[in-house]
Amino acid sequence: MGTALALAIAATPTADGTLAGLFKALTSRLGGDAEPLEEPAVQRLVERARAGDRDAAQRLYRQQVDRVFRTVRGVLRSDAEAEDVTQDAMLAVLTSLDRYTPREDARFAAWVASVAVNTARRRFRRRRPELTATGELPDVPDESAPPEREVDTAREREALLRALADLAPAEREMISLRYGAELTASEIAKLVKLEPANVRKILERTRERLGARIEELLQRTGTNL
Amino acid sequence: MNDTEVTQIWRTLEPSGRQRARIEDRVFDWIEARETSLATEWLNLIRTDPLPGLGFAAMAAVSLLMLTPLGWLASSVLR
Repeated sequence: MGTALALAIAATPTADGTLAGLFKALTSRLGGDAEPLEEPAVQRLVERARAGDRDAAQRLYRQQVDRVFRTVRGVLRSDAEAEDVTQDAMLAVLTSLDRYTPREDARFAAWVASVAVNTARRRFRRRRPELTATGELPDVPDESAPPEREVDTAREREALLRALADLAPAEREMISLRYGAELTASEIAKLVKLEPANVRKILERTRERLGARIEELLQRTGTNL
Repeated sequence: MNDTEVTQIWRTLEPSGRQRARIEDRVFDWIEARETSLATEWLNLIRTDPLPGLGFAAMAAVSLLMLTPLGWLASSVLR
């Protein structure tokens, strides 16, 4: 791991060659703030970012970016689209912090997820894409993982994307909010304007179908979870 | 497949290191550009590469002046 990390850093060109550039490159490859923060800490970061604190904005960004990508990737048809939508959504989040109103019944992550889903919906309206998810392999393999695990991960990813393609858009959106954004049924209910009990039922039903389809696809390729 | 298993398999949708770096660069470059005034951009350009920078900045200033209603107004007054 240490060698892989050192190689990753060494191979990373930093625009200014400074320690800050090196830190940026390192945190990007590690996934930013690996440890998720508690809601009060996130709210403090929001306050600092609103006041113009650049470090706070970056930490806030790193807390949310993977979650946003996982959410929109479940909804959209390709990695490239998910990348574009994540970028647009994170820009919207960081430049609209003034419009965010903290609420006791919804975490900051729920607001970020609503921005992400709305950005993805706008893309649907513009392009009306055929939402077939293709099982693309990750473009950069995780050097710390042994090759067999890497292959298994790629197969699991492909199975998940194929299974998601079989779902209706509304189901795909809700299941992505549940497992990508890691929102609760109540938080999702507010976003999709349904009763929490209905959302729970839909999620349960969708998870069962999705799970069965994934298992079927994995059996065909000989991967065990 | 239970809740935990679906959560676990969803982790395979994480962005790769390259994607993560690309998104972060674009987002923060955009924010930085938004926060930097046009005059500062030009001064930086001149500082980095004085001769071509000065040329580009002068061309940009002339275009900006000629292509805005204020520029048309000024040129018509001067004529």
